[in-house]
Amino acid sequence: MNHLLEIKDLNVIFHIFGADVQAVRGISLQLNKGETLAIVGESGSGKSVTSKAVMGLIPNPPGEIATGEILFEGRDLVKYSKKQMQKVRGKEISMIFQDPMTALNPTMKIGKQIMEGLIKHQSLSKHDAKKRAIELLQLVGIPNPEKRVDEYPHQFSGGMRQRVVIAIALACNPKILIADEPTTALDVTIQAQILDLMRDLQEKTGTAIILITHDLGVVANLAQRVAVMYGGKIVETGTLDEIFYNPKHPYTWGLLSSMPKLHAKTDKLLAIPGTPPDLSNPPKGCPFAPRCPHAMKVCTEHMPAYTELSATQKAACWLLDERAPKVDPPTTIGVGGES
Amino acid sequence: MIRYILKRVGYMIVTFYVVITLTFLAMKMLPGTPFKFANRLSPEQLNQLKHYYGLDQPIPIQYLHYLWNFIHGNLGGSFQYGMQPVTEFLFQRFPISLQLGFESMIFGTVLGIFLGIVSGIYRGRFLDWGTVTLAVVFISIPSFIFAAILQYFFSVQIRIFPVIGWSGPMTHVLPVVSIGVGVMATIARFMRTEMVEVLNQDYIVTAQAKGLSTNAVIFRHAIRNAMIPIVTVIGPLTSAVVTGSLVIENIFAIPGIGSQFVDAIVTNDYPMIMGTTELYAGLFIVTILIVDVLYGVIDPRIRVSGGKSI
Amino acid sequence: MTAKSNAEVTKELFVPAYLSDTESEKISGKSVSAWKDALRRFLTNKGAMLSMIILTVIILLALIGPHIFGYDIDNQDVSRANLPPKIEGLTWLPAFSGYENGVDIYKEKNISKNYWFGTDQFGRDLWTRTWKGTQISLIIALIATLADVLIGVVYGGVSGYFGGAVDNALQRILEVIAGIPSLVWIILLILIMQPGLITITIAILATSWLSMARIVRGEMLKLKNQEFVLASRTLGAGDGRIIFKHLIPNSLGMIIINTMFSVPNAIFFEAFLSFIGLGIRQPQASLGSLINDGYQMLQIHPYQTLYPGIIISLLLICFNIMGDGLRDAFDPKLRR
Repeated sequence: MNHLLEIKDLNVIFHIFGADVQAVRGISLQLNKGETLAIVGESGSGKSVTSKAVMGLIPNPPGEIATGEILFEGRDLVKYSKKQMQKVRGKEISMIFQDPMTALNPTMKIGKQIMEGLIKHQSLSKHDAKKRAIELLQLVGIPNPEKRVDEYPHQFSGGMRQRVVIAIALACNPKILIADEPTTALDVTIQAQILDLMRDLQEKTGTAIILITHDLGVVANLAQRVAVMYGGKIVETGTLDEIFYNPKHPYTWGLLSSMPKLHAKTDKLLAIPGTPPDLSNPPKGCPFAPRCPHAMKVCTEHMPAYTELSATQKAACWLLDERAPKVDPPTTIGVGGES
Repeated sequence: MIRYILKRVGYMIVTFYVVITLTFLAMKMLPGTPFKFANRLSPEQLNQLKHYYGLDQPIPIQYLHYLWNFIHGNLGGSFQYGMQPVTEFLFQRFPISLQLGFESMIFGTVLGIFLGIVSGIYRGRFLDWGTVTLAVVFISIPSFIFAAILQYFFSVQIRIFPVIGWSGPMTHVLPVVSIGVGVMATIARFMRTEMVEVLNQDYIVTAQAKGLSTNAVIFRHAIRNAMIPIVTVIGPLTSAVVTGSLVIENIFAIPGIGSQFVDAIVTNDYPMIMGTTELYAGLFIVTILIVDVLYGVIDPRIRVSGGKSI
Repeated sequence: MTAKSNAEVTKELFVPAYLSDTESEKISGKSVSAWKDALRRFLTNKGAMLSMIILTVIILLALIGPHIFGYDIDNQDVSRANLPPKIEGLTWLPAFSGYENGVDIYKEKNISKNYWFGTDQFGRDLWTRTWKGTQISLIIALIATLADVLIGVVYGGVSGYFGGAVDNALQRILEVIAGIPSLVWIILLILIMQPGLITITIAILATSWLSMARIVRGEMLKLKNQEFVLASRTLGAGDGRIIFKHLIPNSLGMIIINTMFSVPNAIFFEAFLSFIGLGIRQPQASLGSLINDGYQMLQIHPYQTLYPGIIISLLLICFNIMGDGLRDAFDPKLRR
């Protein structure tokens, strides 16, 4: 099968203070045309680094892609030169960021910030680029675009700025849109609007989306497939339904349990105890073992291989080995509340 | 914005009034007489002189008199130069000092911004390390020591530049460099910090994610944002340049107000000291005002919201 | 994937491993207090450490130096005037050979003693005068800085902590004072009082406390509205407890950094004033007045300016680098 984007055994290392932090440790992913893939995990799990690697935006130094391939339409982006990568960024793959308050240049007019990419990639004249910028602002639902195109970012609210950021990202009709925590910094009501907008735009443009988030509510809203990351590795992938209704990895269980539920019987928030591993000295076994309630001796010693559970779902956990004791998922993972 | 400027002008006038009052009071409290050969004069002659200059009247009267004259642009006459009006000296000498100051400022700012940008971009590399080290050294060494070194090597030893004087471009080099390196170092450091900070901002990543070239990111997005705060150091730098010009003008025998001021201090030439002090204060106050307004003009965030809170 | 071949994975390993809470709650990476962290970073800053060593040497020499040869600061003897520096054992270095323009001045004047930094036009030993001058420069800087910290912290602290009308009034006063160039201030003050050690100290102090007051006020304003202070207040802490337990410890870093920059500033102004003839009077010496004296002779006897010039430059550079080092050590923004 030909994927739009295929990541193969990607390793990203940051050389910081004499230590090598292995932020991403051999992950493989596929993204198909027009679909939405969510990468879920807590802070430091390597999900943002993965997205930056795809964009070729790993700051070097201190970071580097140690090994692996990022195949975009069959071409390996890791091997691309700086110049070649510039032609991919913004045109084929673009990105929206977590904090709309800081993602826009404060001293440049909104219109100009949208036009920059258009002029670079589509060789539009200034006049045409501005016309297109106004159209884009209209598309992302900014009222009065003719007037607002000449305003500065600080004249926009947070939600409006995120719409502008999306307009910048979509300016050149990219094939892939990477959304790094696109709603985290926004108010809940605005979050819903932005998610609606993204779904809407995806229908209109057919762009594939990689959604980076720790918010399972957002995932449920937007994604078709989910990859769960922990400690620089993908511990489980599957379709949205598989991950939400038939999760196999204890970390996924933990994530689902810790999601606040509207109709839950208890008023207690469930947390996963402990802290993520130190990736400058990664554990030799399963990274989740120290926090896993079902951890066995084998877990701390050996990294489990993936067990294929269906054509679309696989998980890396020793519990799935036939020699392991049978463990049932906790009852707290029931999906409720969110749509 | 206009209200903001008016408010600032108001403050400026108050500050200036305080300065001229303080100078007046300070002069009244000064020890020593302002007259040459005072010890050779008889008490009657001295009294006559004091009467002539109005120094025998009560201080409040003298003060009002002084203010009245000040408003009419009369700063009195120099005691040392046969009552020639102080303003005449200032008018004649100020342009020279202004030129020296401007040249030093331009020299330092242009070089400093350039070094700062380069240093910020190549953060952590050798070039950056060199700039940072050089900047600390140039900020630290007093301009008069630097001037002495330059003068000794370039004028006395290898005789490229004239030792003293202010006539023709060659005479400008050493004084301008002596004052300018401090400006350069300050601006380079400041610019570097700003550059490093701006390059870490999210909007730089946004610009990169658009596929812009490194040059476009740096020139269009980073430098402009990093340069805006530079305006804020111009005030303190003006003060430093004025301080520097006092000694530098003396060292290179430049006929500006700096060397005049030092002379006046040594000879107790009260009106001259007062006049020069007021000129310096005025210059400083106006610079600060211009800088504040300029900051508002070039930063769109302040331009619209109308003034920053200080 | 790094999965091991199944041969290594034996059945026995599939037993639950009960991990204690301490294991799962273990924080990866050491926890370090902010102060220790700052100190560690300061100590690993090579430039700052080198500066500290140089400063220590200069301070020691300033204390010991004047007593080595038993000269007084004002021991004049025209027969040994304008001798270039000579150090026995270092005579192979042109700078310490006792030669000037190819002539052995010591031989010419028939002098057997060595003058390490040479002598001035009155035959005063420049080694003694230079270190004595360093002493005076340092004393002025020290007193000015201590007073500046005291006044600045109190003024800024009161202004920032109490805020409102008090703050408003204090800030207007400060604005007017800051509107006058510090140079004008200093010169006026020195003219009124007679030039001398105390006058210079007061004059420098008169302007240097402003920046300290501003910084402390800024810190107070920032800190007093932060959650941890509000939390403390909700728990019933009084003004005193908040000031001494929260505000001062948290602004101490900024105060220390600013103090580090006040010192070179004071040293510079003293030298500057002495250089234009408003500073220390003869026969007293400070680094500035020595440079001024030597400067008159620059073209004939450059060594007379050289050593005071080097020492003051070293002092200023080292204090500035140490200040930078402290700022980097305390600035959490650089902790990335």
